[in-house]
Amino acid sequence: MLPKKGDPIIVQNITGRYGRLHTRLMLDYGTNVAAGAAPGKGGLSVEGVPVFNTVAEAVDKSGAKASAFFVPAEFAYAAAEEAILAGIKLLVVITERIPVRDELKMLELARQHSASIVGPNCPGLIVPSQRVKLGIMPVTAFAPGKAAVFSRSGTLMYEIADQLTRAGFGQSVALGIGGDPINGITAGECLDFVESMPETEAVVVVGEIGGDAEERLARHIKRAAHTKPVVAYIAGRHAPKEKKMGHAGAIIYGNFGTADSKISALRDAGVRVAMTPSEVPVLLKQATT
Amino acid sequence: MRLFEYQAKDLFRSYGLQTPASVLAKDVPEVKRAFGELKPPIVLKSQVLAGGRGKAGGIVTVADQEQAEKEAARIFDLAIGGEKPSAILVEEAFAHDKELYLSVTLDRGERSFVAIAAAAGGIEVESVSDKVVRKVPLGGIDGAFADTVAEELALPMSQAKQFSDILVDLERLAREKECELAEINPLAINSSGSLLALDAKVIVDDNALFRHPEFAKLHPEDEFEGEASRQGFAFVRLDGDIAVVGNGAGLVLSTLDLVGDAGGRPACFLDLGGGAQQDRIEAALRLVNRLPEANRILVNIFGGITRTTEVAQGILTVISEGLAKPLYARVSGAEEVAAKEMLAGTPVKLFGTAPEAVRAVVMAA
Repeated sequence: MLPKKGDPIIVQNITGRYGRLHTRLMLDYGTNVAAGAAPGKGGLSVEGVPVFNTVAEAVDKSGAKASAFFVPAEFAYAAAEEAILAGIKLLVVITERIPVRDELKMLELARQHSASIVGPNCPGLIVPSQRVKLGIMPVTAFAPGKAAVFSRSGTLMYEIADQLTRAGFGQSVALGIGGDPINGITAGECLDFVESMPETEAVVVVGEIGGDAEERLARHIKRAAHTKPVVAYIAGRHAPKEKKMGHAGAIIYGNFGTADSKISALRDAGVRVAMTPSEVPVLLKQATT
Repeated sequence: MRLFEYQAKDLFRSYGLQTPASVLAKDVPEVKRAFGELKPPIVLKSQVLAGGRGKAGGIVTVADQEQAEKEAARIFDLAIGGEKPSAILVEEAFAHDKELYLSVTLDRGERSFVAIAAAAGGIEVESVSDKVVRKVPLGGIDGAFADTVAEELALPMSQAKQFSDILVDLERLAREKECELAEINPLAINSSGSLLALDAKVIVDDNALFRHPEFAKLHPEDEFEGEASRQGFAFVRLDGDIAVVGNGAGLVLSTLDLVGDAGGRPACFLDLGGGAQQDRIEAALRLVNRLPEANRILVNIFGGITRTTEVAQGILTVISEGLAKPLYARVSGAEEVAAKEMLAGTPVKLFGTAPEAVRAVVMAA
């Protein structure tokens, strides 16, 4: 599933402000951005990358199976459909503010075509050993290593990766699950994946208030009996109820979605839960020695 | 976006869902007038968004005009969850024997909308163990689908038919108006077997509002929340005295936790969003500088792609305009040495890590 060094990828809405900026930064890191798609902009070139009117042409000319997706929310469903029907198997959706019903439709279509969606509303994914990233994360926070990091939050992922890197824990992969109520790839699926990934020795999960993804993850960990230790951090212990805290998915309704519920479920499943971001490397050290 | 009850009931009626006869009143004389137009007994319902209105004394049944006037004055002055109502819904009471629960809502974990029904209404649905939960297809449901839900509730035939129709209408409303939640709690049944929606709770998907301009102006806007939303910030007003500003929702959330753990109380949550450029940090600092509850400011920036020198320049600009409140900052990332030099000799208190900055700002109380 994870892209390797040299694998061609495409960028959707490559001519937009963020598409353009991050095409440059992905290329600088070493990612093979082989083509871009932007309706009506075919024939242009962005940072030396050829632009096509349709995803189908971009896929055809580049052989890409993965797309970094920067399409505005209003057009996201149509563009995701176009990508999936063009044969994209890994769609990394950076876009935030996509309506939830459009997200559900995207996921349903992806399921029918055996495609995976990372996000939406996420920073993307990075594989430091391959110098490949499909996303917007600052590469200075990351280094090759053996910890896999999965996060519902972008900047918190950078902050924690940076502290891990400084403490000597590089990352085998870091992937943003997304801050919306609905996510494509889940933390449970990520854990299943890295269980069979020899480069990964331990897992860091960064969660936050809202929904029951962490409680589900805890149940999954209990069932799956994975061998690799998991350290978690959950943001929002002091968040008020009934308020959306930045992310569409970060909201407590009644007693549903509280940090305390998540922390106790994860602890019950044998996960070490850090109380602050800076405690993550400390617990990871305990877990791996 | 959560609608007020009266707004949700207007929406209900436009979808053919029956609610009690009611009049919206903006002040005590209007309540008095409304009372005269309706058939007593009358229920006065505080129009606030906070939950637990009944327990807080925001919902009361009144028998005569004098009592209505007295209770209305009390309710207009009663803050629930920090919120005073700008209107009271004056509504005819509906004598009933039985209450049901019914909603169409997003089940995040199942990645699907679901219909939830229970034979016990009027209470928190989370605490109901005996409920019917059915996945709703993205394309909607039909009468046959609704009938199976009614069957599971074991309603008498005439009530089952009404219930089915209500579920079909409620699901159509939730789908067409892109609601995260459309809830009737309670759905009351009177002695002659008629069903009526006594309460209405509707939460519209904020991200779908661009397709629903009809909801755009329904809310009176808090001055600061309005300004923040125009700037594109995620902003939540809280009840403490430390303004917390940062880039990225998770990072700011985690900063609130550090402040709370250290014994401090945040005055707000302000997420600048990704790429915290100079003009954005300036706009954020101007906003929290005016926020009356905040007497000091904590800034936590993890600059990755953002250059921290841009953040420093933004801070310098706002200081030169006369930033009144003490500023504690942790600015980490690209060009941070240069950023620190730019801020040296200014009143800004700069720290290398978030916990250090938090400790200092909390201690400064």
